[in-house]
Amino acid sequence: MASIKEQFEIPGKLKTWSYALIGVGAVALLYGMFTKGFSTDEHEQVHFWGTLMYNTIFWTLICNASMFFLCFNTMAQAAWMQSFRRIAEAISTLVPVFGAITFAVLIYVVVSDKHHIYHWLDAEAVAKDPILKGKSGFLNPTFFIIWTTLAIVLWSYFGYRMRQLSNEADVAPMDNETAKAFNIKSMVRSGFFLVWFGLTVASTIPWLWLMSIDAHWYSTMYSWYTFASSFVAGMSLLAVWLIYMKNKGYMELSNSEHLHDLAKYMFAFSIFWTYLWFSQYMLIWYANIPEEVVYFKHRVQGPYKPIFFLNLIINFLAPLIILMKRSAKRNFTLVAFMAVLIMFGHWIDFYQMVMGSLMKEHVSLGWLDFGVLSFFVGVMILMVARALASKPLIAKYHPFLKESVIHHT
Amino acid sequence: MHLKYESQLREPLVYGNKTYAQVTEDIVRPIEAKPSRLWYIGFFIAVTLLMFGAYSVYREVTYGIGQWNLNKTIGWGWDITNFVWWVGIGHAGTLISAVLLLFRQGWRTGVNRAAEAMTIFAVMCAGQFPIFHMGRVWMAFFVMPYPNSRGPLWVNFNSPLLWDVFAISTYFTVSLLFWYSGLIPDFATVRDRAFTKLRKKLYGIASFGWTGSTKHWQRHESLSLVLAGLSTPLVLSVHTIVSFDFATSVIPGWHTTIFPPYFVAGAIFSGFAMVQSLLIIVRKVFGLEDYITIGHIDLMNKVIVLTGSIVGIAYLTELFMGWYSQNKYEGYTFWYSRAYLFSPYGWSYWGMMACNVLSPQIFWSRKMRRNVFVTFFMSIIVNIGMWFERFVIIVTSLYRDYLPSSWSVYYSPTIWEIGFYVGTFGLFFTCFFLFAKYFPVIAVAEIKYVLKRSGESFKPGMEKIEAQELESFVHDQAHAH
Amino acid sequence: MAQKKFVVGCFDDEAVLFPAVKQVRAAGYKIKDVYTPFAVHGLDHALGMRETSLHTAGFIYGITGTTTAISCISWIFTKDWPLNIGGKPHFALPAWIPIIFELTVLFAAVGMVLTFCYLCQLAPGVKKHRFHNRATDDLFVMVIECSDKTNTDDLKALLSSNGALETDVQIAEDGWWFGTYDNDNDNLYNNKQLA
Repeated sequence: MASIKEQFEIPGKLKTWSYALIGVGAVALLYGMFTKGFSTDEHEQVHFWGTLMYNTIFWTLICNASMFFLCFNTMAQAAWMQSFRRIAEAISTLVPVFGAITFAVLIYVVVSDKHHIYHWLDAEAVAKDPILKGKSGFLNPTFFIIWTTLAIVLWSYFGYRMRQLSNEADVAPMDNETAKAFNIKSMVRSGFFLVWFGLTVASTIPWLWLMSIDAHWYSTMYSWYTFASSFVAGMSLLAVWLIYMKNKGYMELSNSEHLHDLAKYMFAFSIFWTYLWFSQYMLIWYANIPEEVVYFKHRVQGPYKPIFFLNLIINFLAPLIILMKRSAKRNFTLVAFMAVLIMFGHWIDFYQMVMGSLMKEHVSLGWLDFGVLSFFVGVMILMVARALASKPLIAKYHPFLKESVIHHT
Repeated sequence: MHLKYESQLREPLVYGNKTYAQVTEDIVRPIEAKPSRLWYIGFFIAVTLLMFGAYSVYREVTYGIGQWNLNKTIGWGWDITNFVWWVGIGHAGTLISAVLLLFRQGWRTGVNRAAEAMTIFAVMCAGQFPIFHMGRVWMAFFVMPYPNSRGPLWVNFNSPLLWDVFAISTYFTVSLLFWYSGLIPDFATVRDRAFTKLRKKLYGIASFGWTGSTKHWQRHESLSLVLAGLSTPLVLSVHTIVSFDFATSVIPGWHTTIFPPYFVAGAIFSGFAMVQSLLIIVRKVFGLEDYITIGHIDLMNKVIVLTGSIVGIAYLTELFMGWYSQNKYEGYTFWYSRAYLFSPYGWSYWGMMACNVLSPQIFWSRKMRRNVFVTFFMSIIVNIGMWFERFVIIVTSLYRDYLPSSWSVYYSPTIWEIGFYVGTFGLFFTCFFLFAKYFPVIAVAEIKYVLKRSGESFKPGMEKIEAQELESFVHDQAHAH
Repeated sequence: MAQKKFVVGCFDDEAVLFPAVKQVRAAGYKIKDVYTPFAVHGLDHALGMRETSLHTAGFIYGITGTTTAISCISWIFTKDWPLNIGGKPHFALPAWIPIIFELTVLFAAVGMVLTFCYLCQLAPGVKKHRFHNRATDDLFVMVIECSDKTNTDDLKALLSSNGALETDVQIAEDGWWFGTYDNDNDNLYNNKQLA
């Protein structure tokens, strides 16, 4: 190869597609907002805002997973992902964008007192309910708003700092001393992100945003489960972008060896997700305490039964069987297909986490869900492509890049 | 052949001016030499402890469980605490071998052999507790799943205690196979340089007739990878199933869904601490500082601070949910029996917090991570903390049952309960001393595999590659294959 | 068991070994094996060996374990001796997952190790001819089986010119047999200074 293509030019087709998706999504979103979101019927309101909530939270968390991936690999001084780190960085630029949408939606829900979504917003009900009253130290609008703001702002900020630092690897070759200092600085910055990530994504944020929809119910596993779900989907998103860029003739330094390891992540974390899923489900099923099984009752035996099993088939069985073989993990087409499937699967998982609690009587999966999804996918494609085009695709002088080039599994 | 290159930022995994022959010499020499005085003293102490343990067990078997202070409502006390503690320690070995192999972490080569050995001995120790806790130990075979002679009655496949039987025995078997399959080539190395008849004979038998054929190595690699792939979920499953022993019940403080991953994180945490304790001694006694380097200790301390923090998040999650659930019993267990310092066992909860969550945070400092004395001290602290954790979980949930009439008096162990625990230390160290004397404590073949990439004396040769322009480097690599 | 004639060449550096393998094969000789002290990556391909399918065997053993566990437990708990345990259904699949998983792993691991030992003829008490004792220490030992037409001198010269430190011709057993190593006098370090 003569030279490495460092500058990404956004193909016209990609732009067209993303605008089309955004267009379709915006129409659905606006139509939904006026017919449902601002409708006087509470059921319709819940449908609309619930749909928006699970979509926006899903997308924020899976884009944030990219930064988490970068940070823990930096911490572990891993080299293999350096050849495509700029893709992960580009995806993570969406955290402030989707974070802002999440913020707007959640704050609207809380401020406009949508207590059919968050039952704990209903002051009257809380006053009469000793359990909710007891929880009000955590489940109250003020704390919700402060913590949500902090979480999103700090994810964005720490992520931004990581990306800024990464730019230094574009400037000039680093001698040993510079490289050492750069490495230590990277680790310190990723440390900040990781600690904050642990305090939010791996603990408080899923309780606050998602678990509190079932205001009485609780499960200590809940946040780790949500994290696993978003992380495996995030890895899939990364794989999709890597494969797309390869197809367009970029990312020459990444090859089937890198894909193999990325697919290993998809495989391993699909199993990890299943492990957490099983642990949570089995323990609740086994102990059979009414206040706990209420969460699964309508999901397993009610209208959500097909979704419940679909969730397991897509997110566990499919990756287990298809991605087990080494040759499958090195096959670009197959991994692309599986990545899309896994992302869809975890989108369904988020769907059932939110809508399964909001609309227990029937499954509403339909035009609104796919419309909103289309909007988010469109935004994601456009913004990631722009972020990719905004800086070199290779962190050329990164001290670990050469190790990444000769990476073999 | 792949390019032997790694970034100059990485510390060497093997120090000194080493050749393949020198690696063999360094690691195999202690096996051929006479054991040192220190070894004899240590071995003697270990056997003494083992004898004391054997006598304690003899008391328990002869006179019954009454020799221990277990009583209502504390049906599980030191015995199960120790069981879980040992099983937890038995996690790091397979984790280091399997997970780090899958993640291609080169530094595992220095420590995996000893860590795996430790795993096997720790699981052996762990197994003693549930077996002798049965009381009538001669009936232990009842756990086997067969239609027994007392009518076609089977074991209860729905019981977590039976899952444990399957999990621990599978884990022991697979760890042993994994460990031994790695040992075969190294035994062959010992065999081929042996000069006494007895050694030739014994290591000849132990090496299974290994020759080092390329085809055999190819299969060996495949076997190691698949065993690693199997062991990874297996490690997770073992402590998960141990946690199910508690979490499937409806006892406040036990029934919590985060238990499985939190137990696993805790197990890795304590396992790495134990590996640190042992390896710091081994590298000193056998002069293996070139292979088990400060860099290794540094990396393991990173794992310790990571897992310690994960465990910390889990503790806080539980504590939070104890309040958030607004369930009176959960609240009582977490906020009175555990977190209230002046409750009967409050000291153990705070001991656990101090040892497991707070003190490992010093490892954020690089200076601390690389200090051998601090590391050794901390590894002991962590293991004490992890013992407290199991004690907290078991005793503080049991000692006050739902009804105040079933609140038990303060539980403290008898000398025979302690003796049993001490005895397992004896067993563990007896095995470990024998291992350290007669087995290659470092995987010889694997060190040779990373030598030319990560050996100190090979580093200067990479400076040229380091300085090379990216384009020409990529160009060269594209043509090298 | 049959006595055969072999030409042996010893190398001390992988970087020399790889080109040598290429040259020897290009010259039309069939390399029987290269004995190495550790797993040299890529050597199996250089020798033209096919990939091992040991992992496929492992997969089959694993599936066998899964099936065994599911069928045994469900037969026992639904047909042979159904019990009401905690009000759970007789077919209590979630509660069986742990044992099903453990047996899957157990079968796969044990089966694979046994298969590995069988394929490589490894067992306690098995003995094979060692072409060079330092093959488990620091030498890469290339072994070429001679046919009637092989000119051993030519071959030795070829090996030497490609960097072999020592070459020789050995007549040896090709298979394995039961035996111990205690009567072997070919001491490893007879040609090497011991410190």
